[in-house]
Parts: sequence; C-alpha cells; structure tokens
Amino acid sequence: MKEWRFIDFGLVDIRDMMAMDEAILKGDEGDTFFFWTPKKSIILGFFQKAEVELDLPKCKDYIITRRISGGGIAFSDDRCRQINYGVVGTIDNDLFPLDIIESYKQVCGVLIDTLVHYGLNAAFRPINDVTVDNKKISGNAQTRREGKLLQNGTLLLDFDIEEMLRISNIPKEKFLDKKIASIREGLTWLDRELGEQLDMEEVKNVMKDKFEERFHVKLKTGTLSNKEKELTKSLLPKYYSTEWVYR
Amino acid sequence: MEILKTKPGIHKSRGGLIRSFVNIENGRIKDITISGDFFLFPEEAIFKILENLKGTSANREELLKNIEDTYEKENIQSPGTAPSDFTESIMKALEA
Repeated sequence: MKEWRFIDFGLVDIRDMMAMDEAILKGDEGDTFFFWTPKKSIILGFFQKAEVELDLPKCKDYIITRRISGGGIAFSDDRCRQINYGVVGTIDNDLFPLDIIESYKQVCGVLIDTLVHYGLNAAFRPINDVTVDNKKISGNAQTRREGKLLQNGTLLLDFDIEEMLRISNIPKEKFLDKKIASIREGLTWLDRELGEQLDMEEVKNVMKDKFEERFHVKLKTGTLSNKEKELTKSLLPKYYSTEWVYR
Repeated sequence: MEILKTKPGIHKSRGGLIRSFVNIENGRIKDITISGDFFLFPEEAIFKILENLKGTSANREELLKNIEDTYEKENIQSPGTAPSDFTESIMKALEA
C-alpha cells in the first residue's frame, strides 16, 4: 500500500501555516495530508478585499492573512475548536480528478465519511461545501499548480456565529438563492449536531482512518523536508505583509 | 480607487459572490476592482481580467466579449462562475 506523509501542526499562527501550506504545494515531497488548528484569525480568499469583506475596525485583535486559493473568509474564534486540513496530491484522474468539482467531491468525501461515522446526515454541496441536513459544516478551497492540487478546508466543532457576523460585511445576496432565511440557520458545527463535545484528537483520528480508507493509502507521520522549510522561510514575509493582505 | 466610497455591483453566481467597484470616464471603464468568494484558476488571471477591462466601453456586450477573450487567452476555469456573471456584477455597479 502506498504511504502518504501525515503532519499535525497543532495550534498555529495562521500566517506561519499559510507559508507552510504553500511550501508543501511547491516543495519536493508531494503527497501529504495535514492538520492544524488556527489561533484566533481571519483568512481572506485570494479574490477578497479586506476592506470590502470585513468591518476592519472590529477586527483589531484578529490575525489577518490571505491564502493562495479562492473562496470565502475562513474565520477562527478563540474557542479554537476547528480541525483544518490540507491535502497535497497529484491530479491524475484516479485519486484526484482533473474536473475541479469532482476533485473537491473526492477530498470532501473524507469529511463526509467522518460525519457519517458520527451518525450525521452529511452531503457534498457543490462547489465546495459539506453540509449536515443542508447546513454548512465545512468550507473547502482548492488551488492547483503544475499538476498538483492543494485543498484546504475546515471542520467546525464549535463556532461563534455572532462574532463572525459582527466582524464581517456579509451582504444579503450571499444567501438569497440558497433559500436560507438567515446565515444563522445555514451553518452548523459538530458539538451542536451531537449535543456533546467530542475530543478533537479523536475526531482527527477518525478523519485519518477515513482518509486511508478512501484513498487506499497508509498515513505515516513525518515532518517538513529541508527544502520545504527553506521555502517556508522565503514565503513567510508575504503572509505577514500589508501588501499581500490588504492589496 | 476609493472602494468604500464607490457603490458596489453585487451578483451571486453559483460559484460565489462577486462585488464589483467601477469608475467610469466618458462611457469607458477607468478603474475596476472586484472582491468575492468565487474560485478562478489560475488565480493570478483575475489581474489580467481587470487590466483588460480598463478602457472598455461600459456596455454589456463589450464587457462580456472582453472578459470572454481573457478567459480564452489565459485558459481560465471558474467552476460555477461564468464571464456573464462578472458582466452582470459590473452592470449592477454601473446601475448603482
């Protein structure tokens, strides 16, 4: 069985994590599945403007950065009960299809299998969401480079919706065509669905198992290569820069 | 461009929300900015789209053709979002 590298970065500053994320995509190691949990922070999608999407004066105690993939804001409150994941793999029409939505569906399958394991009615909602009873529980974002894909996503265990609404400028148009009366009813998280707080490490282990089953690989814990570490070092200034975040 | 003083055109495609901010001079686009949670590959091509729109006549047909041309030249893929969605968002900004 093919071995894949696995890394759990733990609780991280999201600027450091986004640099490592990009380094894994551009590095020499390839096939990797990794986890992290962000400290209180906001990550903008590639096409989002901070001043448009956020009520910036209210975001002063948040770390803000931008990622290299599109999609919407990834918001992390100080409860730190989110499992964020990354997958870097080769687009080969076998594990990861060339078709963008199909490849999202394939990776999101790991999350769906995990949620089904806990007895929840989980489904993929194109383009990039995983839902439980039609409520979003996971957002995902993908980018591609030289035959490889990088997909990041989050699984919410707990989430402070009021705080997210407080700091963002979300126009009503966003939810109109999803026929959802309010954002509050459109989102959910694991603690709420299960009525209990699961141990985050336990959920991560289920995700790892589901990843191995779905992709028929064996995960082996590893670390960043020297080249990836060097790349990370060279990418860090970008993720900390005003030019990148507030462009 | 002073975005927050400009009225946005907001359009929701299947792939995400597109907010456009447009300045017009003599019926042509002088300056344009887009913010949104859509997906577009390769990502950097968004800057080509915006650059190529500058100087374009501010009417639906010209805008659509211009964006379609950039899509073709840059080999752009944007699941759930089409050139017509960007056009719609810009048209709404012009009408705002």
